Amino acid sequence: MSEKSAANSEPNLTPMLDMVFQLITFFMLVINFKAASMDLTLSLPVVGSAVPVDTQGTEDLLILNVDMAGQLKVYGMSKDVVSYIQGEAKASYDAAQRENPGFKKKDDLPTTIVIRADKQTPFSLLNKIITECQKNGFRKFALKAMNKEAT
Amino acid sequence: MGRRKKHHGGSESVELNLAAMLDMAFQLLTFFILTFQSAPEEGQINLKLPPPQPVAGAAKGQAAGNEADNTNPVQNLNSLVITVFATPVGRIGTMAVGEGNVAGLTALEGRLKQVLGPESGADFQQVIVQVGSRLRYEELMRVVDVCTRQTLANGEKLTKLSFVELPDGAAP
Repeated sequence: MSEKSAANSEPNLTPMLDMVFQLITFFMLVINFKAASMDLTLSLPVVGSAVPVDTQGTEDLLILNVDMAGQLKVYGMSKDVVSYIQGEAKASYDAAQRENPGFKKKDDLPTTIVIRADKQTPFSLLNKIITECQKNGFRKFALKAMNKEAT
Repeated sequence: MGRRKKHHGGSESVELNLAAMLDMAFQLLTFFILTFQSAPEEGQINLKLPPPQPVAGAAKGQAAGNEADNTNPVQNLNSLVITVFATPVGRIGTMAVGEGNVAGLTALEGRLKQVLGPESGADFQQVIVQVGSRLRYEELMRVVDVCTRQTLANGEKLTKLSFVELPDGAAP
């Protein structure tokens, strides 16, 4: 074989690279890091009037996943309710004070508590978490539900 | 220095080695494929949940105890109490608005419209929902859903609720 024909046997990788970059771009655009904070094993209740709300990142949210045994799960890890809520309340207070130096301890914290509880969770267990949040100054809550049956 | 230049009869061409870039691109692609999770379309009900406290409708500047002719100790406590008892399996049992029982969620909605609506003339500053300890979240949300659909006398939507847990085994 001549030297010229040996050189031509190399595959042209450019179209493949183009395609791979297009796929990467697609996945980068659709990736959702918010899903990591959600425990997708929970079965949420179905409530017709529950509407998706997009705060466009302007509101500080604290997502609490509560399973049917009342366990608080954050990013897949079980947490002690009292110490976790206290820590988050302190962080929220510090952030609020940085933004507004006149913010007082008694004021309602600006963070919204997003509760994602399993539909079987008894109220007594859920209420412990709500009460703990209220004790630490949280007043804004969002109760999560599906607005239609999952398929 | 390290670049190789091929000389073909005087014309100069530089060939990039794309294999390394392709390797990296495939690694990135693998990462994105493995971590890809479509987020479920979830809705939410926004609430303002203050802790349950008695609310006294004192006039501006009025000091405690200076309304000598008021003999009713609960006058001006503008709190509406909704009670939801739970069955042993955690479903909605008996419900009541104030002292009057209501049969089912439809009746609850009708009663709340009468009590809270603009025609009622009432000015409730607080709605307290007393809930049986066994009531499941799913059932609680059905009650909350009915409550948050109500419009108050001042034209605002009802979003301010307080939850109180009834003791286990509480019955009407």
